[in-house]
Amino acid sequence: MIKKNYLSSLFVILSFMIISCSENEVSESYIPAVSPVNYNLDAFPYNQLSDYNFFEGNLENQSPVLGVIPYKPISTLFTDYAKKKRFIWMPNNTSANFISDHEILDFPVGTIIIKTFYYNNVLPSNTTKIIETRLLIKKVSGWIFSDYVWNNEQTEAVLDNSGSNVNIDFLEQGIQKSTNYRIPSQSECLTCHKKSNIAIPIGVKPQNLNSNYTYNSEGSLNQLQKLINEGYLNNVDYTNVNSVVDWKDLSQPLQLRARSYLDINCAHCHSDNSHCSYRPIRLSFNDTENSDDNIGICVVPDEDVNSVLTHVVSPGRPERSVLSYRMNSTEESVKMPLIGRNLVDEQAVSLINEWIDELTQVCD
Amino acid sequence: MRKITLLIVLLFNIIIYAQDTCSNPLAITAGLQTISSIDGAEGVTLVCAGAGNATNAEWYIYTPTDDYTVTVTTDLVANNGRDTRFQVYTGTCGSFVCHSGDDDSGSGFLSVATFNVVSGITYYIAFDNVWESNGFDFELIEAPYVAPLLSFVTTPIAASGNYRNCIVDMNGDYLDDVVSISATNININFQQGTGVFDVQDFTTTNADYLPSWSIAAGDIDDNGFNDLMYGSGSGVTFMKANSDGSGYIETSMPEYVFSQRTNFVDINNDGNLDAFVCHDVGPNQFYINDGLGNLTHNQGGLGDSPSGGNYASLWTDYDNDGDLDLFISKCNGGGAEASARFNQLHQNDGLGNYSDVSVASGLYDPVQTWSSAWGDYDNDGWMDVFVGASSFVDGAHKLMHNNQDGTFTDITTGSGIDTFTDTGIEHITHDFNNDGFLDVFTAGNKILINNQDLTFTATDVGFSVGAVGDLNNDGFLDVFNSNGNWYRNEGNNNNWIKINTVGDVNNPTGSNLNGIGARIEIQSALGTQIREVRSGEGFRHMSSLTTHFGLGLDNTITQLTITWPSGIVDVFTNPTINSTLTVVEGASLSLEDFSKDDLVLYPIPSKDYIFFKNFKLNTSKVIIHSLTGQRMFNFKTEENKINISNLQSGIYLLTLQSGTKLYQQKIIKK
Repeated sequence: MIKKNYLSSLFVILSFMIISCSENEVSESYIPAVSPVNYNLDAFPYNQLSDYNFFEGNLENQSPVLGVIPYKPISTLFTDYAKKKRFIWMPNNTSANFISDHEILDFPVGTIIIKTFYYNNVLPSNTTKIIETRLLIKKVSGWIFSDYVWNNEQTEAVLDNSGSNVNIDFLEQGIQKSTNYRIPSQSECLTCHKKSNIAIPIGVKPQNLNSNYTYNSEGSLNQLQKLINEGYLNNVDYTNVNSVVDWKDLSQPLQLRARSYLDINCAHCHSDNSHCSYRPIRLSFNDTENSDDNIGICVVPDEDVNSVLTHVVSPGRPERSVLSYRMNSTEESVKMPLIGRNLVDEQAVSLINEWIDELTQVCD
Repeated sequence: MRKITLLIVLLFNIIIYAQDTCSNPLAITAGLQTISSIDGAEGVTLVCAGAGNATNAEWYIYTPTDDYTVTVTTDLVANNGRDTRFQVYTGTCGSFVCHSGDDDSGSGFLSVATFNVVSGITYYIAFDNVWESNGFDFELIEAPYVAPLLSFVTTPIAASGNYRNCIVDMNGDYLDDVVSISATNININFQQGTGVFDVQDFTTTNADYLPSWSIAAGDIDDNGFNDLMYGSGSGVTFMKANSDGSGYIETSMPEYVFSQRTNFVDINNDGNLDAFVCHDVGPNQFYINDGLGNLTHNQGGLGDSPSGGNYASLWTDYDNDGDLDLFISKCNGGGAEASARFNQLHQNDGLGNYSDVSVASGLYDPVQTWSSAWGDYDNDGWMDVFVGASSFVDGAHKLMHNNQDGTFTDITTGSGIDTFTDTGIEHITHDFNNDGFLDVFTAGNKILINNQDLTFTATDVGFSVGAVGDLNNDGFLDVFNSNGNWYRNEGNNNNWIKINTVGDVNNPTGSNLNGIGARIEIQSALGTQIREVRSGEGFRHMSSLTTHFGLGLDNTITQLTITWPSGIVDVFTNPTINSTLTVVEGASLSLEDFSKDDLVLYPIPSKDYIFFKNFKLNTSKVIIHSLTGQRMFNFKTEENKINISNLQSGIYLLTLQSGTKLYQQKIIKK
């Protein structure tokens, strides 16, 4: 008798469920899950990286939660061979606008850009070590910098905007290297991340994002398309975006590779209204497209760094070129970039030298 | 027939190989020569022009039969596209002295140099293959002899440090030594006089911060041996000499600062030398010395632009009121706030309060400058300034003349500086030809020689700005720069005098031991000249703390006056010229007794006036210090009394200087 009743109840319940499900399918739209990031613009910056809830599981795994979207610029900034993980997040129902191929997207208030710096093969134990996570947060009054320095246990990162140094010995492609890695202070962040003295992000431009990235969920997809799909970028036809190339891609022309490297490593200071605008060179991908002068070819340097250097770029003569000399230097008052690296990006110097070697212009 | 053939063959061989080694040079005279290729076995290891040794060279000798101004050049149409370099020596193979040379002064990468030759002297000319071995033509042109405005001899020196940017006395003998720095070593070439050096290395613990941006020297603990400050991109390191100068103790400071120019200077006028650091990307920072070995970090009040742009600080008493003011050469990218871009003048009110008088002074200028050279260019007793442009995008070089009323007038037009088109970061002023007028060593390897009428003539000396001092004690200023050479000033017939200032550190009211901040004035037939003792001029280098004056052909200095930071004044008449005077503060004065001379100060204590019985103050100087040596300026001197109502209550030391008589007494403000 009990069994019968049980089965009847079950049948009734099941019927209701089927009916209710059918009703739901017919009358209600899909409600997307909301990103679990702890968004409180006025309370930003938090004291600890974990407070934001950008990542799930162990913090060191850097597994992004819903809404935290990974990205990678086509050519990346050299930071003493440190590896990077980059993410972007925006508040619900906000999105960025496309301005132009070579300009930073117009981001909504509340946007957070996340960049974690780490090394694999850190000596002596050949382990992975995360150094810092830098955030750019767009507040109502503008972008602010917040730097989170990781503990040795790799369980947490704490806000520290005063700058510091970390000695790191590591293997890079099997070769041992060593650097006194610099975690920047606020004023150092602003030195590069500014235009007309206003804080700005650097890498997030369509020219740098117009490439495929392999996402965990959907596999390989164009990054701009992904941002559009996520509702982070208002729909735009990006098929004709004049894009940089991966400077490490040997199949690309030398000139494109060189210009792409110079854009991401140098243009933030060597542009109009930037830190070194009083020097004549203009090194953004856009500025070097049609101008020998902008990239320094046959430009006489303002400053006499070494008497054998005759031009910023001396066609056919890397050993006479200020550009090559400074990229190859570790001397503080000579090296370029001025801050952000201690070691020489040897591959890049080779690229620049190869490019200069093939130039045939004749200077006056 | 065979004999003739043999002779011809031999002759041919001699011609081919005649210029391949120094011992077998080809003798030439004026005219055109052809080099088929640079493959002579003997290369170049003494480099006078350019950088880097060469493995092969072609050697020539030239012995003029008269004095000439000679030009050797490869800048010929036939050489289009070539890359050449040559050296010119006197002396003999293996013991050459640099005479001239050139790398790229011609069009493209061709070479041209003009130099003087003396009849009967043999000159070696070596064309080397540092760049390429292809052959080319060259020409030697003789022109009538024109005496050079300035002449320096490139002389190697064993300066092994990575940073070669400092000349200063390091062993307390008041002779300028050559200092070069590495992370764990201070390399010092101690001057022995006459151009000989005794080199020693001092191992140090690792300097966290190296002098990559600038170096300054000064005796911060008054122990008789100068200390060093290294200014780097993320902090400063001090190297303090121990008590006998046999070692250096490294102290790296914990504060982040992106250093540019650094100076040792007594910022708060308490008799103790402080350390100032220009900050590239934030407000300037400084360390106040308490005289007991403690350096306290400060930031604010001396150039506070939030994003910095402070490239060079120059401490000078521009308003002749007895205290040091601060001029900051500023540089920053477009779009930076004005306070990061416009040069600044901060006026010291004597109380350690500096107010920004940039606009009122006429020095508020957005020109991109990394350093400016302050000196009295027309010998009128007031400091003028050459503002040096590192780029012409926001203005060019400026010559600003002191109007003696706190303002400056732009007198660049027609001065020769308006047509000077080289840009650079390092601009300093010294009298290089000893004619009694300050010259400017500036960009493009040029010294702007003062024509004595506020116009300047540029002369190319072939090497870039470096540290300046007298390295062979001959009264003519020499240079040491990053090439690792020293450049010996060959001098002329002009007279000179040098002065070493020694502050009286045993006296609580005395100045810092180096006398940094002292104003020195001399009077001779050509007029009045002034100098200040400064640590850290220009952008990067440290030059001698010995004060130098040229005198032209004057052979008498009627009066030499030193106004010390402490306020007292030493006067000397007819000091010996063509020699060095070392003056201890107060040496020309006698310490007297108030009561013996029937002078009375009353009342003590006082809350406003102190009267001087039996004395009129109008020709005397009243100086007041706190008991800890802090100079006080907030009192007024009237005919027979002083008004101390603005002083805080307490005990003070009052110094009265009347001519060469010095009186000191304690007073009490209640």
